[in-house]
Amino acid sequence: MMWLSSGFIFRRGTSPYHKLDPRVKLLISILMFVTTLLVKSLYELAAVLAFMIAVAAVATVLRRVARTMAFTALFSTFIFVLNFVFTRNIETSLLYAARFVAIVVSTSLFFITTSPDELEQVMKTFRLPRDVVFAFVTAVRFIPVMFLDTIQIMDAQKSRGLELQKGNLLRRVRNMIPILIPLVVNSVVRSGELAEAMESRAYGSVPRPTSLVEYKTSLTDRAVAAAAVVMFVLVAYSFYFVLPTRIL
Amino acid sequence: MIEFQDVTFVHQNGVKALDRVSLRIDSGETVAIVGENGAGKTTLVKHVTGLLKPALGNVLVDGQNTATTSTAQLSRKVGVAFQNPDHQLFSESVEEEMAFGLRNFGFPPDLVEQRVARELELFELSEYRKSSPLILSGGEKKRLTLACILAWDPEVVILDEPTVGQDSIQKERLAGTIKMLSASGKTVVVVSHDIEFLWPIQPRVVVMKAGKVVGDGPASKLMQERGLLDSARVAQPQLVEFYESLGSRPEAPFVDPLEARRWVEGGDRA
Repeated sequence: MMWLSSGFIFRRGTSPYHKLDPRVKLLISILMFVTTLLVKSLYELAAVLAFMIAVAAVATVLRRVARTMAFTALFSTFIFVLNFVFTRNIETSLLYAARFVAIVVSTSLFFITTSPDELEQVMKTFRLPRDVVFAFVTAVRFIPVMFLDTIQIMDAQKSRGLELQKGNLLRRVRNMIPILIPLVVNSVVRSGELAEAMESRAYGSVPRPTSLVEYKTSLTDRAVAAAAVVMFVLVAYSFYFVLPTRIL
Repeated sequence: MIEFQDVTFVHQNGVKALDRVSLRIDSGETVAIVGENGAGKTTLVKHVTGLLKPALGNVLVDGQNTATTSTAQLSRKVGVAFQNPDHQLFSESVEEEMAFGLRNFGFPPDLVEQRVARELELFELSEYRKSSPLILSGGEKKRLTLACILAWDPEVVILDEPTVGQDSIQKERLAGTIKMLSASGKTVVVVSHDIEFLWPIQPRVVVMKAGKVVGDGPASKLMQERGLLDSARVAQPQLVEFYESLGSRPEAPFVDPLEARRWVEGGDRA
């Protein structure tokens, strides 16, 4: 489970992609995300996915992106089966399943290369309410903690004879109850403790606190952002006016 | 009997948590595993129930290889009380919580009821029988987790940091429980930083450092090896320090503070 979770969790890196302004990384991820929604054929989607893999290679996170893909395998299989049942069209079903993988990879690329601190700064740039930013960033920060909690809870329950893979589907769902209840209870308790710790450190006493870090875009950041926008426009144009329509 | 044969374990992040560990724990032994944070103590005991499988080497429990045996099968023999009781409590009532493991292991309903009643009484939790386990105090939760495990009467009991968050009275009770388990022939493995808690129990002590076993022997002998303890960042028990500071000493360090007081006051002085 930890192996899969690492496909979504930030780790510090020194690649050129890590060093980009977080707003530029967000822009690239949004553009990749939108592009996956614009594709009309498996060939186009394959090209988009290849581009994402190239970005992952530049960011030296190829292995972790592979884990992200592995994580989505079960869901995308489900999407494929569901689409095939209703459409009886393999190509359409494959497109939807692969599109889901591409969407997850595009967002994962942002989160695994952007620290929660950078994420906070990005959200502040959009002038979102401070409490909303804090709640979101804290939730992101706590994802690894919750994964760790889940593993420890599973270990504890397995040591009491719980067999998660035993029985039919209904039984397997019921087997998750001893995992989910302690996980939710621990999260609620932890959030209460966090709120108390924040208040005891004067959180909220200053309406508009100053920031230690002020992000300034460099020439490289601007060049990369401009290149991403130009590329997106060209790709979107080619999808609709150059390449033949295959599906949809 | 538990046997670690040249066991190596590497975490996903590449950190070697166990490095060619060889260790044998005989039936009925009481063993304390000590060492600094990250020494590999919890990783070691997780191998006993097959929660972790060794990258190299074998872990045998009564001759069964844990790599090829399910955790459910091993747990019937080995009960583990984990450090944080909040990681296992989920039922509507204390009695349901205790019955969970017993039902998983297929105990008949009448035996489940009998075992639950016995453990509730033994651990002084009878008054909370119908209460939610989530409203219990930290000490009561710890007692409940231990009671849950002892309910199915495993041959081996593993306690991972049992004294965290416990007051002195609870620690004394826990030490009493460990002595009782030892006396009844159980194999008890305690993973702990709390040397003061372990000292009166006088277990066999296994000292770990950076995934390796660096010391192994009876507490009375090992706890006098200051160099070894310092290198593994393990504190010496106060009674041993006191014993070493005395000009003339009895043959062995004091196990109990009262014993030390009697000696200082002259009653037992040779």
